[in-house]
Amino acid sequence: MRSRPLGLLMLAGLLIAACGGGTSTSNQQSGPKHGGTLTVAVGIDPDTLDPAAQTTTTVQQMVLMITEPLLAYDEKNTLKPVLAEKWDAAADGLSYSFTLRQGVKFSDGEPFNAAAVKFSLDRMLSPATFKTQPGVLRVIKSTDVVDDSHVKITLKTPFPPFLGAMTQAAAAVIAPNSVSQAPNTPALIQKPVGTGPYVFKERVNGDHVTFDKNPSYWGSKPNYDAQVYKVVPDAATREALVKAGQADVSYLPPANDLPALQQSQDLKVILGPSDRTIFMSINTPGKFQPLLQKPAVREALNYAVNKDAIVKNALFGAATPLDAPMSKALFGYCSTGKYDYNPDKAKQMLKDAGAEGMKLKIISPQGRYIGDYQVAQAVAGDLRKVGLQVELANPSDWPTYLSRMVNVPPDQATADMHLLGWAPSFLDAAQQFQIMTPDNFPPKGLNTSYYSNQSVTDLVTKANGETDANQRKQDYCSAGKLVWKDAPWIFLYNQKNPIVTTSKVKGIYGLANEQFVTSWASPA
Amino acid sequence: MLSYIARRVLIAIPTLFGVATVIFALVHLQGGDPARVIAGANATPEDVDRIRHQLGLDQPLLVQYLIFMGNLLRGNLGTSVRSGQPVFNEIASRAPYTVELAVISTILAVAIGVFLGVVAATNHDNPIDLAISSFSVFGVSMPVYWLGLLLIILFAVNLHVLPAAGANQPTGFILPSLTLAFFSIGFIARQTRSAMLEVLDLDFVRTARAKGADRPTVLVKHALRNALLPIITVIGLQFGTLLGGAILTETIYAWPGLGRLLVDSIFARDFPVVQGTVFVFAAALIFVNLFTDLLYAYVDPRIRYD
Repeated sequence: MRSRPLGLLMLAGLLIAACGGGTSTSNQQSGPKHGGTLTVAVGIDPDTLDPAAQTTTTVQQMVLMITEPLLAYDEKNTLKPVLAEKWDAAADGLSYSFTLRQGVKFSDGEPFNAAAVKFSLDRMLSPATFKTQPGVLRVIKSTDVVDDSHVKITLKTPFPPFLGAMTQAAAAVIAPNSVSQAPNTPALIQKPVGTGPYVFKERVNGDHVTFDKNPSYWGSKPNYDAQVYKVVPDAATREALVKAGQADVSYLPPANDLPALQQSQDLKVILGPSDRTIFMSINTPGKFQPLLQKPAVREALNYAVNKDAIVKNALFGAATPLDAPMSKALFGYCSTGKYDYNPDKAKQMLKDAGAEGMKLKIISPQGRYIGDYQVAQAVAGDLRKVGLQVELANPSDWPTYLSRMVNVPPDQATADMHLLGWAPSFLDAAQQFQIMTPDNFPPKGLNTSYYSNQSVTDLVTKANGETDANQRKQDYCSAGKLVWKDAPWIFLYNQKNPIVTTSKVKGIYGLANEQFVTSWASPA
Repeated sequence: MLSYIARRVLIAIPTLFGVATVIFALVHLQGGDPARVIAGANATPEDVDRIRHQLGLDQPLLVQYLIFMGNLLRGNLGTSVRSGQPVFNEIASRAPYTVELAVISTILAVAIGVFLGVVAATNHDNPIDLAISSFSVFGVSMPVYWLGLLLIILFAVNLHVLPAAGANQPTGFILPSLTLAFFSIGFIARQTRSAMLEVLDLDFVRTARAKGADRPTVLVKHALRNALLPIITVIGLQFGTLLGGAILTETIYAWPGLGRLLVDSIFARDFPVVQGTVFVFAAALIFVNLFTDLLYAYVDPRIRYD
């Protein structure tokens, strides 16, 4: 709480205030390479900074500035050591041993050791932790302290993508004593204490979170003395902030401004990678339109849609058309070819299948993915061009869309097709195929096209438990090819993740899990 | 007078409970499984079920209602499902920002609006009146979102004199207050103009002039004072609009007030915070209405509340 009588007094100075209003973000630093404050405008006000409870990419990114997991993905999507120096999987795939980095301390002075790893993972798995989100990490049966610098994690079942899953912010290690220091409680952390390059300084709800440099960081030292993550929900305002020099970095500027921003001398647009696939999910049981049961009809829909034009006109280049039912960043990806835009072929296939002039209803959210509703409009337009009678419903807000229209059992489906995106939280096809197997029909999972192909299910089930990495990759690849041919979706594109920075900043990079890493940024 | 106030406050209590019931119904009719939304798209069914249970959302709706009302009676607004913090704390940390904007913009709107209205009325049907009237129409019809962006582009991006967003700079309040005041300025100016025009032709104004009172005295002490009632009504009504306008204004300017809290909570299906925030808005409106009614009696001694 903060009283603000100051603002009232300032009213008197309204007219002269113009003189004193400028705000400088990176102060006059002596050395060119470090010092000062990096101001980052993000769209999301964190619900919580508790590593165990967060669910949002932006929040994960903040959490991971303060706390660190045992290992992480680098820019090339390969695993690199962080708090663990080495790891080994047992031959049966049921346990993993980690050798921990030694001499690391939490920012409150507590030593980092095996007990802290066990404490953090146990806490994340405990039902007593406020809205904790173990997700796939629920596969952990126990974490055992071997000695101060070794832990052994035992799984309930073999889970080959386990190491990838351990990169998630939920698996970050927190200082055990810090959870009982106010305002933290064992159930809910508000002020995370970890080993990361920055430490939590303050948070004003809805306004900003400030991080200070961790002077005793074990790795190479961060360059900025502080970073301020400013919460700015409106995309146009975020863009204005960076144009006005009041922020150094701005997330997700309005997509239609990307071309202009890319032209600007003072600004840099970074199209960060993402593992998010965007697709038009087709109601494959054909609840309203039985013709959709035929794979040939669904293939025809894929040929009818001009993906390149959509990427260019609705996404302003911030995407790549899909050539597999998953992003290139995932383990298990292989190219399956493309459905090239071919309206004549589509028309012929529809005619052959007796689906000429077929009626379709499409639904789409608005404000969830870049240009989402415009994409749905473009898809509807392309399908009309091949003679289909397409009704595109008014857009919905995401919570309503997800829980009432999309994440519903097959008999409650609301449309023939719906726009959806899916971004695995770690880079493994196991998570992508979650939405293509029948055990994940809503409301259990998000297989919202109710797609089921026994061969795909068998391959995926086998791959999910396969300890031989090459075989596993092969199985996912084969499953992907079958899915591509079955076309339960109109495969659209792999989204990119745009941010804009001033030319005064360098060293920011994006990861395929949609996080940007600002920890190692420096003044240019 | 005191007994009147006491009666009004007592009447406000059942009104507030009615409001609470309506809010509860609206929030729960709105749909969207909060557990699913909170858990995120990638969550496993186990995650969703556990969260649903932790938040008490697996209870029958009637039970949830009784718990909500029971807590409300004890002054407890519940716990945010988004942050795990007491709703009261969430609201208390945000309310000062919204109050600041509402008060500053009301002062601005009243000062500028009444002034413009009086000037327009005294220049009836000449170019000044026309200019002010056009400006008022402009102000009333300008979309807040558009105006907000224009001001940001002008003062922050082009002139570099004011912060574009946020509340952690001392001048951060200027643009949002102006934006918020803009609509009300037009409205109050129009109302003042017509109220003044009605009064200016009346006998007592002519008498005041005839007895030799100077022009400012005639305008302010005689005419404006008698034209005040409808103006006060409009200002009272405007306060409600300001609270509503706060939602958009706070979003554009990244101002961490109650409007933003409400929007974020609606999108996160954070039912306790939505209920709490709307409840506080409703209570504020009831209070402002009461205050407006009492002001009538002060301004016009013929009005008496017994």
